[in-house]
Amino acid sequence: MKITYKPLGVFVVVLLAAGIGGAKLVGLWKTESTKQPVAIREGEFAGMPNPLDIRGSYTWDDVARAFNFDVELALKAFGASDPTTKVNTLESIYGEASLPEGTEIGTDAVRLFVSLLTGLPHAPEGSTILPFSAIEVLRTEGKASSEFIEEAAARAYTPGAVQGVPATKSAEPATDIPPATGDSPGAPAATKTSAVAAPKIVQADLPASPVFDAATPTTSTTVHTPSPAKSGGESTGEGAVPGTITGKTTFKEIKTWGLSEDQIKSTTGGEIGHDLAAIRDWASSKGLSFSEIKARLQALLDAR
Amino acid sequence: MKAKTAGLGKKSGRKARRIVQIVFFVIVAVTATGGALKEKGITIPVIPDASLHSICPFGGVVSIWQLLNVGTLVKKVHESSLVLAGIALVLALLFGPVICGWVCPFGTFQEWLAALGRKIFRKKYNTFVPTKLDKVLRYLRYLVLAWVSYMTAVTGKLIFQDYDPYFTLFNLWTGEVAVTGYIALALVVALSLFVERPFCKYACPYGAVLGIFNLFRIFGIKRNAPTCISCKACDRACPMNIQVSTAKVVRDHQCISCLECSSEAACPVPATVDMLALPGQVKDTFGQETAKAGKKNLGGEK
Repeated sequence: MKITYKPLGVFVVVLLAAGIGGAKLVGLWKTESTKQPVAIREGEFAGMPNPLDIRGSYTWDDVARAFNFDVELALKAFGASDPTTKVNTLESIYGEASLPEGTEIGTDAVRLFVSLLTGLPHAPEGSTILPFSAIEVLRTEGKASSEFIEEAAARAYTPGAVQGVPATKSAEPATDIPPATGDSPGAPAATKTSAVAAPKIVQADLPASPVFDAATPTTSTTVHTPSPAKSGGESTGEGAVPGTITGKTTFKEIKTWGLSEDQIKSTTGGEIGHDLAAIRDWASSKGLSFSEIKARLQALLDAR
Repeated sequence: MKAKTAGLGKKSGRKARRIVQIVFFVIVAVTATGGALKEKGITIPVIPDASLHSICPFGGVVSIWQLLNVGTLVKKVHESSLVLAGIALVLALLFGPVICGWVCPFGTFQEWLAALGRKIFRKKYNTFVPTKLDKVLRYLRYLVLAWVSYMTAVTGKLIFQDYDPYFTLFNLWTGEVAVTGYIALALVVALSLFVERPFCKYACPYGAVLGIFNLFRIFGIKRNAPTCISCKACDRACPMNIQVSTAKVVRDHQCISCLECSSEAACPVPATVDMLALPGQVKDTFGQETAKAGKKNLGGEK
């Protein structure tokens, strides 16, 4: 049987088309991640969507749809205007805005916001903070206890606030955020590719908080102007503090920090994830409480 | 008149490959552009908008380790990559790295540059690298494959993206490309003016994976020695510099199944170099063939 150009070309095209078509038919052809967060497996909120599973590739619309709230609340909270923008634009914009060391307004801030808005549980990363505009929304719409909301408020960042003034007492929070259309002369390049504003950031006085103690900033107050942001950047976990567990910490990392497999298993009920797995993701997949495991592991690390 | 007709037949055969290559180049370019625009919040109706990673079968290959061990795909890789990797596997088992010779848009891009190189250097084109050095360099892509596979397994990220000229080509304007990517693409463009498909020959990790299938593919390039006039037209036509004229069966790990050497293209004698079923030609190791075919090496078995 001789294979010549034309039959070979036809076979290649047909096999590719049939393979892709078949994969589509059986639901295997997925070119992007699903926008439906996994459900909480156990406890009071079992069956509800897990804020932990909100990904940077979700748009504001995706988040609002998955957690059944008005997308306008999220847009107002984060100073965004386009509901089809991905939430990971926050990371690039606020990342480039040079937030004080150890703090971050990114995808986990969206998870925290959703958690406080809906009352669903979420253990934020130690570095996660919210913009003050989100606190305003949460104070009127949040279903979480006001205690939690005020804890978040104590660490919130207020665009344009005066140095040293606590966020909760600052002036109007979002009125001086420039519109993110990219049309304004002299607007930072970051705003040209995103619907999220890139405000000036002022660190307020932050009272100690039991929830956020892992990343209470110690640097002096500084006004930052954002520089051009890269689009679509993914958090790499770079800059993590060795010995401090965050949502991105992997089993391999805590092993390199000195914990043995037995010690790790003692905090998880006898199981351990793959070296490459993030502890938080693994705990979520097993229906375990990351915050509890994190506290136990951190205690072991601190005791060393 | 007969010769003229034969010439036309050869042209139409080659044309079929060119058309398939252009079709896939356009599909990938449009899809990757749509995907990149979507990342920026711009959706254009009708235009598909998957990311380049989601339509690259190599993403499926490098995800296999993580999929088996952690149960997840490498970041930015989606199920579609696994599907494409599966289809490419079937094609490779049947016809060898036909994906490289017919589908890969970066291979096509290098062929277009080769046409320019041929105009500049004419017969000297694709003969600049000394044979001994070339032979060694051909194995470089296996080192690249090993490094990419290891680093992807360890980090869980598409580590090759920052060095991938293919990713760079289709994301030049997106701002997502690392400086190393631009350097890699510039190198490939420059080298392509001297050497045909330099990235495929020396650095492509996916080509390395598919190349292994040349050792046991079901349909392969076979030379009919009794009718061969030893004109070496097949050698000159091969973009991968394989010595077809001295082989009975081409089992070279670099063959891309482009059929340029065949009697339908370069070979002037009908039924002398063709892609045929190769029963009993299975190799048992990378460089050795079973007793049936005798002692041969990777560079073209005699």
